[in-house]
Amino acid sequence: MLLSLSWLREFTPYDGSAQALGDKLTMLGLELEELKHPFVALEGITTGHVVACSMHPDSDHLHCCQVDVGGEALLDIVCGAPNVAQGQKVAVATVGSRLPDGTVIKKSKLRGQPSHGMICSERELGLSDDHAGIMVLPESTAVGKRLVDVLDLDCEVLDLSITPNRADCLSVLGLARETAMAFHLPLTIPELVPDFACDSEPLPIEIKNPELCWLYSGRVVSGLTVAPSPAKIRYRLMAVGVRAISNLVDVTNYILMECGQPLHAFDLDKLAGRRIVVRAAGEGEQFVTLDGQNRLLNSRDLCICDGEKPVALAGVMGGLDSEITETTSNVFLESAVFQPATIRKTSRRLGLSSEASFRFERGIDQERSVWALDRACAMMASLGQGKVHRQLSVNQPKAFVPVEIAFSPKQADTTLGLALGSDFALEVLRGMGCQVKADQEPWQVTQPSWRPDLTRAADLVEEVGRVYGLDNIPPALPAMEFSLERAGEVPSDFVFWQKIRHWAAGLGLNEAINYSFVGHKDLDLLNLPAEDRISIMNPLTADQNVLRTVLAPGLLQSLRNNLAQGAQSVRLFELAHVFQASQSEETGALETGMLGLLLHGLRHDDVWPYTPESVDYCDLRGFLEHLLRTLHLGPARFEPLGSHPYLLPAVTVFLGDTPLGCLGRLTPAIAREYLAHEPVWLAEVNLDLLKKASEKATVHFAALASFPPVRRDITVIGSESLTVGSILAHIQSMKLPYLEDLVFVSEYVPEGSQERHLSFRLTFRHPSRTLKDGEVDKERNKVAQSLVNALGVRI
Amino acid sequence: MDLISALESLEPELEKGLAQASSLDELEQLRIEFLGRKGRLAQIMSKLPQLAPEERPAFGQKANVVKEQANARFEKRRDELQAAREAAALAHFDASMPGRRLHTGSLHPDTLVMEEICGIFGRLGFDIAQGPEVEIDHYNFEALNMPPEHPARDMQDTLYITDTILMRTHTSPVQVRTMLARRPPLAVVVPGKVYRRDSDLTHTPMFHQVEGLMVGQNITMAHLRGILTAFVRGVFGPSTEVRFRQSFFPFTEPSAEVDISCFLCGGAGHVAHEPCRVCKGTGWVEILGCGMVDPAVFEAVNYPRDISGFAFGLGVERIAMLKYGIGDLRMFFENDLRFLTQFGY
Repeated sequence: MLLSLSWLREFTPYDGSAQALGDKLTMLGLELEELKHPFVALEGITTGHVVACSMHPDSDHLHCCQVDVGGEALLDIVCGAPNVAQGQKVAVATVGSRLPDGTVIKKSKLRGQPSHGMICSERELGLSDDHAGIMVLPESTAVGKRLVDVLDLDCEVLDLSITPNRADCLSVLGLARETAMAFHLPLTIPELVPDFACDSEPLPIEIKNPELCWLYSGRVVSGLTVAPSPAKIRYRLMAVGVRAISNLVDVTNYILMECGQPLHAFDLDKLAGRRIVVRAAGEGEQFVTLDGQNRLLNSRDLCICDGEKPVALAGVMGGLDSEITETTSNVFLESAVFQPATIRKTSRRLGLSSEASFRFERGIDQERSVWALDRACAMMASLGQGKVHRQLSVNQPKAFVPVEIAFSPKQADTTLGLALGSDFALEVLRGMGCQVKADQEPWQVTQPSWRPDLTRAADLVEEVGRVYGLDNIPPALPAMEFSLERAGEVPSDFVFWQKIRHWAAGLGLNEAINYSFVGHKDLDLLNLPAEDRISIMNPLTADQNVLRTVLAPGLLQSLRNNLAQGAQSVRLFELAHVFQASQSEETGALETGMLGLLLHGLRHDDVWPYTPESVDYCDLRGFLEHLLRTLHLGPARFEPLGSHPYLLPAVTVFLGDTPLGCLGRLTPAIAREYLAHEPVWLAEVNLDLLKKASEKATVHFAALASFPPVRRDITVIGSESLTVGSILAHIQSMKLPYLEDLVFVSEYVPEGSQERHLSFRLTFRHPSRTLKDGEVDKERNKVAQSLVNALGVRI
Repeated sequence: MDLISALESLEPELEKGLAQASSLDELEQLRIEFLGRKGRLAQIMSKLPQLAPEERPAFGQKANVVKEQANARFEKRRDELQAAREAAALAHFDASMPGRRLHTGSLHPDTLVMEEICGIFGRLGFDIAQGPEVEIDHYNFEALNMPPEHPARDMQDTLYITDTILMRTHTSPVQVRTMLARRPPLAVVVPGKVYRRDSDLTHTPMFHQVEGLMVGQNITMAHLRGILTAFVRGVFGPSTEVRFRQSFFPFTEPSAEVDISCFLCGGAGHVAHEPCRVCKGTGWVEILGCGMVDPAVFEAVNYPRDISGFAFGLGVERIAMLKYGIGDLRMFFENDLRFLTQFGY
């Protein structure tokens, strides 16, 4: 909301600065966003008097003028405007001053004649589009004064952010009320009442949907002449961001900005049947609005119709056919109140928000609707030399009934944590415009018609706090009340996730956070199924039109960003939800917490003392094994997966019989789409399952062994299809009593051979004595023999 | 030459040999020559049977003394040579060699800030609550006093899944879910992702919030101010001041925007005669929104009428930007490693 300070001063004698007013209003909840100076570019322009004016000797259209701008000497100015004449008062840009378009005025010569300034047109001053000639000021204008002062321009405008509850502050009147209250000033509404100079039958007003139209009123103003509005009105509208159109239209906008009541002027002669019907539109009915757009309506849109057809989309925009034109002389001026929700629905559906719809959506002071109408009629008659008709056309299906609120002043103190007392509350509420019966508690407080937001005691508490100043409330810490209800509950997901995050960062991974949405095409690229995806109905872009079903697309996006920036080794992790359509969820979405890991590039940075080796399966798997050990889980099983949409090889990690997630290498063709030419290893693990498992994991202290371990290595030679896992599994299945640990040590494939030489280390230990070499050798040989027999390998 | 003299003559020769030995290898040669199994001492000792039985004890004693002394001298000389060798090795020790590089892991600044916030509120007695990111209209809007077609919905441009299911626009629906699940008193903070249909220099369609809710008997706005003062001092330092500005949120009344005294300029509005870049010269920085829970919200969750409480919501990215001096919001979700690795963990 743009509030002109000088306009405000017509309503309340505030004499402080704009900044001080803005600061005060800000603390009252009407936040000053910016202090604007719409005419700052005109501050160098002065008024002048054309003392002499003659034709330029070498031109058929230039004039040589001598202009008095209050200085010692007259200025020679060459002027090309056809309307310049001796004796005029004009706006002069002197040498060195700057026009709104940035032009700096310099001393010059035009066809040999000196010119020391410029006599300006309205367009050159940015005041209108008029460039037919120079701007001629009233004869009474003083010479050598600043133009902005002479024109009394609205030089200071406060851009206030009005919250949706404060419909009343979307007008000069409403903000004047707040200002008056804040600074203890009177409210001085300038009187403007029409002179009823004419009589005619009022227009019959039929309201077919009384629940949607609470008041419809109008008046005829006749015998009008369409012309531009007086400068003062045009410049004022311009200062508050409204384009001046013509006197009749400008009146509706002026009163809208001043009083907050949207108005609409119909050309009376274009209203068929001299009547108004308010009704819901027909399904599929078409209507051309003022902006020339053909609108397709439905039965939830409210129309204003004449005897035959719609003439306006109620509360949103008028129709092209009945708008005011240059030839209009008789006007039917409408002032109405509509149900806010219906206006909002139509405005939103059509993507058509106007100053009017914005106010209708938030609530109108119905008690002042006819008052505002009459104010507009008076102004219109005055600007257009027309006559206001005495008879009011009106239909009010639902009169405003103020809410009576039971309020006890103690409520304010208990909510705010203050001891303000009842006198203060009473002063605030009365200052607000409420009627208060305070003879007994609870008080009976009557809502002012302009405050639709005051309907409950809590709303009044807020007013008391607002006026006292929320910032004056001293801090205090509450005595916390705790209950045993949640004692012993498992920690939240957040806490568990934080633990995993610290684990990952501690191992040198970098945490990424990607958007939860991706594009369908991103999921398609990964060959993910189209079913069970959750699409965004109104996405911002096609890159963000579906919720991710796996973390991979986000992590890959991050990989691409980094590779594009020249990164070589990328090791990312992310913890986030993935989303799957599910009928059994209240929200239709199954949200599963996942941990994603992405490794790409070199295992170590390519610097001393490491050799440049790319990350591989064992790096990625090492992270998962480490994670499970950290959580006291496992060992896990890693089983190859026959096929996977985007990983090859793909391996499922099982904890017991539960698949926790999978890991593998992104297929090179997809990797290339993400600029990756080195292997990309990805893992995704279900955090919900992991958390559940870790909650069950228990830690038991194991006594420290006091006898030494004995180690034996064993090398197994077998075909290339021999797996490490099969050997580990076989040895473990032997359940050797003193085998404490079994690890894979190395792999060796001799040159020219296909056979794998796999070495393992067995660690034996007896809990209560030192093992003898001989008995350990016997155990090792038992293992060797068993492997030979069971797996057909050589030792 | 008698055997005793032979023993005694070993000493000066040994002394000379030790002085000449310049390496551990030479020293070892020397040791073998004198003390080895076939060394000179052993050779002398081998002549013991030639002595008369009564001379043998004295000779034996003397031989032991010589052997012990010789061993001690060798050890001393070995220590000297070893020390010299170590010193020589260290003479060219390059302290400028780089450390073996370990990967530097990092947490996202949002994570760090959420952890800090939840930690501070945890110490103030708040539990952590969480809720779904895909939310039904009822919890996101209606139960928070924003019925359909309420203009306040314009404050939060929404991404919809269906007409009634949406991406939560704030963490506030978790207030409702928490109150439906638990009876008062309660105090929770809710960290999480939220979504708006908004994308420009200062808005991303996804961001993070931490919501706070405290409900009980006789909870007042003064308590709200106290808790928030404790919080901002925890994050921005003990001299941070709090300013409450009247505002509007449909689910709180009264509602306030909270500013803190600028932590860069200390509220002065300028640093070294230049307008402060953090508070733009105002001395205050907007940090969060808060208010007393609106009775309509308590009604929606069937809480008793005599209950009161406060709620607040803050933007995690905003705090991270202020705390770390990050200028561009969009960097948060590009995951450039040069960005991610700046914040540690």
